Amino acid sequence: MAILLSFDIDGTLEVGDPPGGITMEMVRRAYEAGYLIASCSDRALSSQKAMWARYNIPAVFTASKHQLPNMRAAITADAYYHIGDRDTDEQIAAENGFGFWWNHEGVSEPWLTLQTPHGVQTPGGEDVSG
Amino acid sequence: MPRPVPAPDPLSKPFWDACAQGKLMVQKCTMCDRKQFPPEATCRNCGWAFNLTWIPTSGRGTIVGYSVTYDTRINAWVPDQPFNNAVIALEEDPAIKFHSNLPGVKVNEVPVGAKVEVYFLDLEDGIKLPEWKLVHH
Amino acid sequence: MARETGWERSRDPVGIWEHRGKVALASRGHAPTDRRWDGVSMDKTLGAYTIIAANAAIEDAGIKPSDIDGIITSPGGQPGGAPIGDTWGPVRPYFAPPYNTEDGLTQVTGEWLARQMGLKNVRYFNSHGDTIWNLIGLAAQCVGDGRCNVALVTYPTGNLEGRYHRNPDTRVRGPAQWSSPWGWGLSGQGFTFEQYCRKYGSNHDRMAPFVVQEHKNGLLWPGSYYAQHEPQPFTTEDYLNGRWIAQNLSIFDCDRPVNTAAAYIVTTAERARDMRHKPVYILDHTESTFQPRSLVQDLDDTEAFCKVQAERSYAGSGLRPKDIDIFLPYDGFAVFTQYFIEAFRWRGVNKGEAHDLYAMDITPQGPNPLNTGGGNMGTGRMRTAFFSDPIEQIQGRAGARQAKKAEIAVTHGVLPGNAATIVMSSTPG
Repeated sequence: MAILLSFDIDGTLEVGDPPGGITMEMVRRAYEAGYLIASCSDRALSSQKAMWARYNIPAVFTASKHQLPNMRAAITADAYYHIGDRDTDEQIAAENGFGFWWNHEGVSEPWLTLQTPHGVQTPGGEDVSG
Repeated sequence: MPRPVPAPDPLSKPFWDACAQGKLMVQKCTMCDRKQFPPEATCRNCGWAFNLTWIPTSGRGTIVGYSVTYDTRINAWVPDQPFNNAVIALEEDPAIKFHSNLPGVKVNEVPVGAKVEVYFLDLEDGIKLPEWKLVHH
Repeated sequence: MARETGWERSRDPVGIWEHRGKVALASRGHAPTDRRWDGVSMDKTLGAYTIIAANAAIEDAGIKPSDIDGIITSPGGQPGGAPIGDTWGPVRPYFAPPYNTEDGLTQVTGEWLARQMGLKNVRYFNSHGDTIWNLIGLAAQCVGDGRCNVALVTYPTGNLEGRYHRNPDTRVRGPAQWSSPWGWGLSGQGFTFEQYCRKYGSNHDRMAPFVVQEHKNGLLWPGSYYAQHEPQPFTTEDYLNGRWIAQNLSIFDCDRPVNTAAAYIVTTAERARDMRHKPVYILDHTESTFQPRSLVQDLDDTEAFCKVQAERSYAGSGLRPKDIDIFLPYDGFAVFTQYFIEAFRWRGVNKGEAHDLYAMDITPQGPNPLNTGGGNMGTGRMRTAFFSDPIEQIQGRAGARQAKKAEIAVTHGVLPGNAATIVMSSTPG
């Protein structure tokens, strides 16, 4: 079962400017637990790709803020989540059927609880059996 | 969230009062025979205030161009993004311009060159805001 | 201090500038460039950075602080001296002196700077504030008129929030009553560009070579935010994937707010000849302000305004378009740069043709060196690449950005409706 986590960068990740509370270690933990990692940010795509390369985390998709639907179309997953620090993050997540966490919520790594004994918890709250 | 509401001042009050009565007015300098909008304390051409008066307009115009706002700095408009921002040139003096969101026209489908006519939206505080709609023949 | 007026060369016919070639830019200095101040590091405040930049410019000129007898600055980088972002107080407590007021935090006046730097020989202060083009023009006029001989021009640019103004108002007064009820804001940029593209058959994608080249140039300029913090190349793919702010204005047509400062020494040509680097002679400064006839500045207004200022600049310098080796038109927003290029008819570019120029060789070493310092797109919203780069070009120390021919450089900013042009030369003319 696949869960996609899309991270905003500035104000969300520790390497953003301003720095957010979500560390690259948390992102790595999610990656190693099998989550699909992606970014959706106002940074240029090449800047996003350079960041993932620097931390050796293979991102499945990098997108500008308006391209969250492209991410959904390109990457098959059972559930999609976006984590960000701006109203626009919340807005694009809602418009595209992504679950959403604020940056400050993300520091407790709430995604780690999404994999249930029955499968995956989707943004709508139901379990998708595995 | 409602759109920001104009707060009339002594200079703009005649305009908003006229809107409240369903009329679109602009200033005119009778000496220069020149229309002026938005209103100013003096005629921008001759610099005098004495000959400035308010006159009604035809309320008709043409769409001369547009933008579509996707990321506004105006908080009240954020929930309505994206939205059209059209510019209307007044029929009898195309140098006089007005803003319009062209309610009812799909985002990014603004027919540049189309004829429009004014109508008024009810806002809070009794303000009636000039808006524009396409004229269908 | 009240704003001085009357120094601008804004009334036609301006005639050849009376101090043509008798005033020079001698040096430039820069502080580090950050995205924003962290609110904690007192060695990274706007004031601290302005001191760093000022000392760097003094050192670059090979002079002593005691040589400075004039300070001309724009405390917050904006007309009127205001900061572009929020103020620090009163919602947040101030710090121990010298950071017990806004001065030093979100603005840096000449008086504050002189106190902190111990500049005791300053006899002319002007902290009235304006864009960097107007400040250099004012400094040139002051030196030419003899108000001071060695002017330190400082240009701090900060933005506490690191983003541009949000407008929370639900009741709108003054000019905003004619725009906010319709959500009109940056739409003005998108609107005029859309008119341009419709009239001349172009499109926004054709901006890409220009913005990409600016980023390349910026990465070669050490003062750039990108050179210091995001050194990976900015690609055509990046540009074309930018989201709209207000169509046709994309996020990559907007400059990134930064926290930094730059400083320049403007002095007489005679004094400059004894300084460390060869003088960059100022051949002319001209200024203009315009107001559109009605609510909106449309393409016709924009082209008319730019034409007046371009012709004024040529009349003031006595130059012709073909004389300009390096052209540095403002780009913050990138979607209005073509109006300047076309108005100045640089490289024979006429109305509607600037995007064709973008498709040609606009590299620093090529035949059309355009914004060789990277402009704002390639450096961040510091605005000073428009001076530091041509100074380095004319002095022959631009390194990997060095243009083959760098004898005359012209920079022009800041908006079509509020513009100034500075003409720089390797010779007094």
